[in-house]
Amino acid sequence: MMLSWEYPPRVIGGISPHIYFLSKYLSKQNVKVYVVTCDFPGAPAHEVIGNVEVYRVDSYKSPSPDFATWVYLMNMNMQKETAALMKKIGDKVNVIHAHDWLVANAGIGLKHVFRKPLIVTMHSTEMGRRDGLHTTAERMIHETEAWLTYEAWKVICCSDYMITHVRYAFGLPNDKLAMVPNGVNTHSYEFDNDCEIFRAKFALPEEKIALFVGRLVYEKGVQILINAVPKILAKVNTKFIIVGSGYMKEQLLNIVQSMGLEHKVLFEGFMDETTLQKLQKCADVSIVPSLFEPFGIVALEAMAARSPVVASDTGGLSEIIEHDKTGVKVYPNNPDSLAWGIIKILKDETYANYIRDNAYRRVQERYDWQKIASDTKSIYEAVLSEYSKSFWAKTV
Amino acid sequence: MVGQLSEYVKALTSELSEKKIDVNVVTYDDRLTGETQESSGVKTVRVNNPVKTHIGVLTWVLTLNQEVERVSANLYYDSNKKIDLINVFDWHFIPAAVTLKNGLGIPFIYSIESLEEHRSPTANSSYNMAIKSIEWLGFYESHIAIVKSEWMKEEVIRIYKVPKEKIAVIPSTQEATVNKILKIYHSIREEPRNKT
Repeated sequence: MMLSWEYPPRVIGGISPHIYFLSKYLSKQNVKVYVVTCDFPGAPAHEVIGNVEVYRVDSYKSPSPDFATWVYLMNMNMQKETAALMKKIGDKVNVIHAHDWLVANAGIGLKHVFRKPLIVTMHSTEMGRRDGLHTTAERMIHETEAWLTYEAWKVICCSDYMITHVRYAFGLPNDKLAMVPNGVNTHSYEFDNDCEIFRAKFALPEEKIALFVGRLVYEKGVQILINAVPKILAKVNTKFIIVGSGYMKEQLLNIVQSMGLEHKVLFEGFMDETTLQKLQKCADVSIVPSLFEPFGIVALEAMAARSPVVASDTGGLSEIIEHDKTGVKVYPNNPDSLAWGIIKILKDETYANYIRDNAYRRVQERYDWQKIASDTKSIYEAVLSEYSKSFWAKTV
Repeated sequence: MVGQLSEYVKALTSELSEKKIDVNVVTYDDRLTGETQESSGVKTVRVNNPVKTHIGVLTWVLTLNQEVERVSANLYYDSNKKIDLINVFDWHFIPAAVTLKNGLGIPFIYSIESLEEHRSPTANSSYNMAIKSIEWLGFYESHIAIVKSEWMKEEVIRIYKVPKEKIAVIPSTQEATVNKILKIYHSIREEPRNKT
């Protein structure tokens, strides 16, 4: 029983595609997967996708004064609906797999009501997202995350960096943690794309395309890229395309305007998946300047699209990118270093192609969903083996 | 003790226990957590909130509900699944009662001391509306609602459009209060479970 606040077509961050592919490939390995998630306009309340059953619950049943309160109220309804579902389908559910604090209450409650083992994937932490804990709301979310990981039988993280971070943030023992990387679907980038025509929508023929994809929030480091833009333009004629939205958008627009660079930096907002994939395939460089990055799925997607990546040497990005082989790593929070990395790629076509080929091979070798599902299934089996010896297994 | 509910529940559960009803009370206490056996024979389990920092009453109540749910589920399994009924007092623990009902098939009674509409008569902020939505959920999911006056019954019908057949009026001042509540308990127990 998979619990997530997002599942396609509801896509807010990286959890949605993660659940989609993980459940899809788990079901190919004979794991029956039920996904309970939030509703979305036009999406059915119950849907069967292959061997995956998706249930979408009413997430706005109760009015809420703020986002965090909404999360707990949404959990109340998700928990109620999932409890009814689990009672209906009988003893078919062996494990409950909750993704992030956003479904903490539902996951913990269902664990105790049905006495089933709870597995948790921590995609990120509040402490990491906010670079510390500064407000009451942040501390509340942090404590909820700690409570969730305390209740979990096993905590899955997507990088060695996150394992260390989660162990530190919540004081967890080593044997409770397991690393399973995130994956990328390379097949979705296998289509013919006439870059000559497509790129004309964004850049002049003589301009290189530098692409940033991500939420426009502090930890994604888009402000560092903006600061690096004049240094790059001094060396290479480039068009910077920013895809995504977030609370920093207005502020960033003002900075770009004050620099007189509106014609060089385009804010495209949200982009549909097909257009984004075409753009990633045409981009001369993809930039991931994050300050905090548990994994760095955007880098992996760019590598699958054969776009050379320049990324901060931080978090999960440090593990994905091998410097000078599958990408270029730069100092985090350093516009000079970032500009150096981007210029290095844009000025040397041979080097860029070398990076492209290596990166694509690395993605196929290490970040294949089949392997990730297999690793996850092994964790389920190990937990179930331990659970079968517990007194809980004898009382249900 | 926060209001009069504490004393009322203590008196009610003691009298139920005298009438040979196995009563477990799950309640909140910030420090005295764990299980105690009262002299009346009532087993009391006190829980505190697993999350200490909160931005408001709603988040505090909703996380506390998970502990209420956890110990209630433990009581259910420890008693070989022989919990017949849950009686929830006011809106605070309705989320736990609703999940226990839907997951384990235990019917519940919703006893109303007061309503948000009367506690905050002119307030219609999203905070108040959220509490009202939880009260509505309690009426919708409960087997029966118990109120203490005809006036409150009319108010419940007026505000939440609850069918009058679903509301029982049992004033707490009557000597026969416990017998009337017990009669309702027995009537629910004797009904087939698939009705809940």
